[in-house]
Amino acid sequence: MPAVRGDGMRGLAVFISDIRNCKSKEAEIKRINKELANIRSKFKGDKTLDGYQKKKYVCKLLFIFLLGHDIDFGQIEAVNLLSSNKYTEKQIGYLFISVLISGNSELIQLIVQSIKNDLASRNPVHVSLALQCIANIGSKDMAEAFGQEIPKLLVSGDTLDVVKQSAALCLLRLFRTDPSVIPSGEWTSRIVHLLNDQHMGVVTAAASLIDALVKKNPEEYKGCISLAVSRLSRIVTSSYTDFQDYTYYFVPAPWLSVKLLRLLQNYPPPEDPGVRGRLSECLETILNKAQEPPKSKKIQHSNAKNAVLFEAISLIIHNDSEPNLLVRACNQLGQFLSHRETNLRYLALESMCILATSEFSHEAVKKHQETVINALKTERDVSVRQRAVDLLYAMCDKSNAEEIVLEMLAYLETADYSIREEMVLKVAILAEKYATDYKWYVDVILNLIRLAGDYVSEEVWYRVIQIVINRDDVQGYAAKTVFEALQAQACHENMVKVGGYILGEFGNLIAGDARSSPAVQLQLLHSKFHLCSSMTRALLLSTYVKFVNLFPEIKSHVEEIFVADSNLRSADAELQQRASEYLALSKLTSLDVLATVLEEMPPFPEKESSGLLNLLKKKRPGRVIENPDRLDEHVKKEPRETNGTSGLTLASNTEQEGGSADLLGLGVPSAGNGNGPTTNGAGAVTNNIQKFYCKNNGVLYENDIIQIGVKTECRSNLARLALFYGNKTNHPFMNFQPNVSASPALSLAILLQVKQVDSTVEAGAQFQQMVNVECVNDFDEQPDLNLVYNYNGAPQTVNIKLPISINKFIEPTEMNGEAFFSRWKNLSLPAQESQKIFKAAHPMEATDSTKAKLIGYGFQLLENIDPNPDNYVCAGIIHTRSLQIGCLLRLEPNKQAQMYRLTTRSSVEAVSQHITSVLCETLNLPFNNQVE
Amino acid sequence: MIGGLFCYNHKGEVLISRVFRDDIGRNAVDAFRVNIIHARQQVRSPVTNIARTSFFHIKRSNLWLAAVTKQNVNATMVFEFLLKVVEVMQNYFGKISEENVKNNFVLIYELLDEIVDFGYPQNTDTGVLKTFITQQGVKSVTKEEQAAITSQVTGQIGWRREGIKYRRNELFLDVMEYVNLLMSPQGQVLSAHVAGKILMKSYLSGMPECKFGINDKIAMDSKGKPAEESKTKSAIAIDDCQFHQCVKLSKFESEHAISFIPPDGENELMRYRTTKDISLPFRVIPLVREVGRAKLEVKVVVKSNFKPSLLAQKIEIRIPTPLNTSGVQLICMKGKAKYKASENAIVWKIKRMGGMKESQISAEIELLATDTKKKWTRPPISMNFEVPFAPSGFKVRYLKVFEPKLNYSDHDVIKWVRYIGRSGLYETRC
Repeated sequence: MPAVRGDGMRGLAVFISDIRNCKSKEAEIKRINKELANIRSKFKGDKTLDGYQKKKYVCKLLFIFLLGHDIDFGQIEAVNLLSSNKYTEKQIGYLFISVLISGNSELIQLIVQSIKNDLASRNPVHVSLALQCIANIGSKDMAEAFGQEIPKLLVSGDTLDVVKQSAALCLLRLFRTDPSVIPSGEWTSRIVHLLNDQHMGVVTAAASLIDALVKKNPEEYKGCISLAVSRLSRIVTSSYTDFQDYTYYFVPAPWLSVKLLRLLQNYPPPEDPGVRGRLSECLETILNKAQEPPKSKKIQHSNAKNAVLFEAISLIIHNDSEPNLLVRACNQLGQFLSHRETNLRYLALESMCILATSEFSHEAVKKHQETVINALKTERDVSVRQRAVDLLYAMCDKSNAEEIVLEMLAYLETADYSIREEMVLKVAILAEKYATDYKWYVDVILNLIRLAGDYVSEEVWYRVIQIVINRDDVQGYAAKTVFEALQAQACHENMVKVGGYILGEFGNLIAGDARSSPAVQLQLLHSKFHLCSSMTRALLLSTYVKFVNLFPEIKSHVEEIFVADSNLRSADAELQQRASEYLALSKLTSLDVLATVLEEMPPFPEKESSGLLNLLKKKRPGRVIENPDRLDEHVKKEPRETNGTSGLTLASNTEQEGGSADLLGLGVPSAGNGNGPTTNGAGAVTNNIQKFYCKNNGVLYENDIIQIGVKTECRSNLARLALFYGNKTNHPFMNFQPNVSASPALSLAILLQVKQVDSTVEAGAQFQQMVNVECVNDFDEQPDLNLVYNYNGAPQTVNIKLPISINKFIEPTEMNGEAFFSRWKNLSLPAQESQKIFKAAHPMEATDSTKAKLIGYGFQLLENIDPNPDNYVCAGIIHTRSLQIGCLLRLEPNKQAQMYRLTTRSSVEAVSQHITSVLCETLNLPFNNQVE
Repeated sequence: MIGGLFCYNHKGEVLISRVFRDDIGRNAVDAFRVNIIHARQQVRSPVTNIARTSFFHIKRSNLWLAAVTKQNVNATMVFEFLLKVVEVMQNYFGKISEENVKNNFVLIYELLDEIVDFGYPQNTDTGVLKTFITQQGVKSVTKEEQAAITSQVTGQIGWRREGIKYRRNELFLDVMEYVNLLMSPQGQVLSAHVAGKILMKSYLSGMPECKFGINDKIAMDSKGKPAEESKTKSAIAIDDCQFHQCVKLSKFESEHAISFIPPDGENELMRYRTTKDISLPFRVIPLVREVGRAKLEVKVVVKSNFKPSLLAQKIEIRIPTPLNTSGVQLICMKGKAKYKASENAIVWKIKRMGGMKESQISAEIELLATDTKKKWTRPPISMNFEVPFAPSGFKVRYLKVFEPKLNYSDHDVIKWVRYIGRSGLYETRC
């Protein structure tokens, strides 16, 4: 600010130093009050101030405001400053306004006028100041007021470059508050062509703007790809002397390069072979340049160079199409792995994690395994070590799994506490995923519990037990191993849990050995009993009762344990109950019963360890690098075995949440979560809206990407819909926007209240959205559900109806024949009745299905009322907020003619008609078992 | 039971920290600083509860004094104790300031050890404390002196030692009253009360027994005198009162007589409060007129309302001005008036003013237009003064001194009585 530096404003300096010298808050407030009074007296109407004074006082006000005091005057003076011709005065005026003016101020008109004048000014400095002010305020009003002018400034031929630069950034700011400010059509190409501008500053500013625009509307701005590539190639191939002002420590235009590379990451690799070739060339050149000796020893030089390089590598990874480049990038990163600079090592590890997920570079990444393991062991910075763990996890596959798991286990002992839990999960997942030998797997997990028991979550040890139970061949080995592990002096409680469970199931397999005879097993387990939490004790009690079955010879010992006061009279209800029930079981029942009750656990349903993966994701949301599934490759190499016997990984990865069922609850398989069973095979699009007239829960819509389920609960005139969106694919849905709307007529009759949801649905995930509906009046339409999302880059839309109809608000009403017919007669006006005769589509003998549909629709089925026993008679009351509508219905089958006659009577004509027409169709639908 | 006592400077740095009980941890020190001293919004309540811990604080000049406890203590006891601590410190090293506290911190810790035991306040009488806590360094105490101190501190009359001797037996009594008032613009009294105290300076030999009579209604009635007489003698109704520990409360209960053996030197004998029949020394009559949006005319008349023979002193009237005042013109008949921008008020000072007089000030206040819609809240006009009588009507009827052992009688004692009436919060709305 030359104003303060150069020509003084001594008063301001004195004031500020006074404030700084204040000893206490009170003194400061006093000084400020005094100054405010002084300024007020100066700003009094009858005095005329020159520009300098105005500037000085406005500055003081600004300073006082920044100290946290309210300023409620002086705006006029600041606005006056705007019309000054002096730069410093104008600048202070704009500064005050962008800091202090609130959006709804009365002065906004004046300000807008001043800014307009300045925008039209010939002096570029004034235009720049005005643009700055617009961007600083950046409100919707500003966007409205100047949305027209700034784009013109930006593309007009006679604007100076400096101004264009400001205009581009200002437009970017306005675009963020109000995306409609950017005109479409011809402007698009003109804005895109800014990338061709002579002036590097303009290009840099425009690159940011275009990046934001592209994110919003990728299709429209597709033209920028070739321009960006050519601009990039010009920068990359030039020598640093070509861009005098834009060379930063011998690197030509590093910021612009980075921005262009980022811009290109918004698109898939260019299709045009020419452009594509040029881009590859650029990327290669950047990689080549990294090999050149540095032109300067300054840190800034290498920083700038590496920034461009890393962005280029990101683009290579994003494009994921050129094996050659990917491998080169990988090699380059490999060099950085042993670089002196910690930040570089961190970034290299991070980028490599992504590289490892690409099929082209996976092998190349694996070459650096040694270095990474070394980094894990020797790195000082914990965040870098964390990255190394991530990378090891990502690069792991069948060939190196054993080694990596071994290294990670070895490191676990000394690992930093903050990353231990995550490492444990990763080891558990890897061990399971790539296990070829279950003995190895069991060893790894037991080692894991031994080394880092505290960090082993329940899911991990649940999983071991599931696997051991499902595999006959490891059970003996597992029993032996846990028995040995338990012999350690101090072992972790999780180990006791696993040991207790496994010995309880398979202790008999090692009982033959005298060293691990039943009595020894019991004694060993019981020696740990008293040191454990009540949950573990409960588990051990179950183990003991299993021993009763397995080894009848130690029954008396076990009973002694149950009888012990600490168990039979335990303060813990669970322990007490188990002890007394198990005791009774072992005392009273015959051997046969015991053997049946305490049979070996049935195998668990096969599942992938997605429970663990979910846990990992929960721990570090958004940062988990997937361990890529390389099963396909292995399929090529070796014929894949059948599900039951191959690697532990099994292909199904949808709807596996909570896969590790709770073991202590004795293995109830987890139920589907409110989502009805899938009726149709994938591929076909199902829209079940019709069926929802007669049912409340089920799959509403399904195609091969998404599944939408509905669960409806109704109570009088209120209904609550839970919509379940399930992502059936391996890619997340982006910009996921479900939109529930009602037609104008409908919106008068029902009130919709929709909960907001996240805009991203992770792969394979399912989440629910609640919709509350209140029925105000009767209606015969259904609200729309309009779903928009991006799947794998491509926008998708689903337009369906929400299954909410008037019958959801019917309350079934019981009444006797007399009451029914008297009401039936009361509603005999022609307008109240609606009748339809239609042909039966199904055998009329299927009365159950018809009854079920009528009940499902919401009516009470009144039996034995009609003189003709074949007729169906129903009654119900529709609840709306304004009134209750009684509804009566008769369905008379004519078996000879295979026709139905449906008569509905209600106090509202529209309702009768609606119900008749809907029921006609519904009764003709094929019946399926989902009707509830 | 106080758990701890902390003293902070205005920046929140701890100057004194003394913890008496284990339930108060070090973090309590920080909790007070963070939540009260450095609070975003000024904390106005003197008692704050943070995490089941109560903090009682008072502020003296730039120092914060905070007592902390986890128990449910008598809050008034704690504040009384804090005030006593301040008083003791003032008596030892004068004005309480950061500088003084830092210079005397050893002494302060020594004093704290003496006046609090395990969180229970003990003897806070400066006169007694000074006998064994001195600022002159360690003085070797003889066995006899030590025994005397012990017997005195633990004895029945802990506030006075034996063997005091004066050539002239003198006794000074100051009746000091603070008048608090809130008056409506129309002159209606919204609330008024007098908080009074009697300060006594005694320079008497031996262990004299004193008897003190005041014109309290109950005391006068109980003397068996006819009700009429007490009315003509204008007895006053005291709402509540409290005494120095030397006053024999049992005697006050039974005979309504105030009798005591006075501590030596300066002491506060009694505190009382009255709310009825207060003679207000001054009346403020404000007149505010808004002339358009840019101008305000204020006229304030002050009337003195006491015997013409008396003279009020140190009169100061503070007239708040709106926050958007841009200029003030003042005309006053008497005294000096000035617009103090830093305090947003007009301050009008009059040195002396006799009874039954009146004076007036008129001010023209120019205002600047602002963009806030908030209206000025018009704070009340406040006033400070000092008058040579007791506005409550309090009178000392007699003060008798008996010293059975020494040979001086009531007549030989020279007694002085002085009445001072001061303003407390003396406000008139405008």
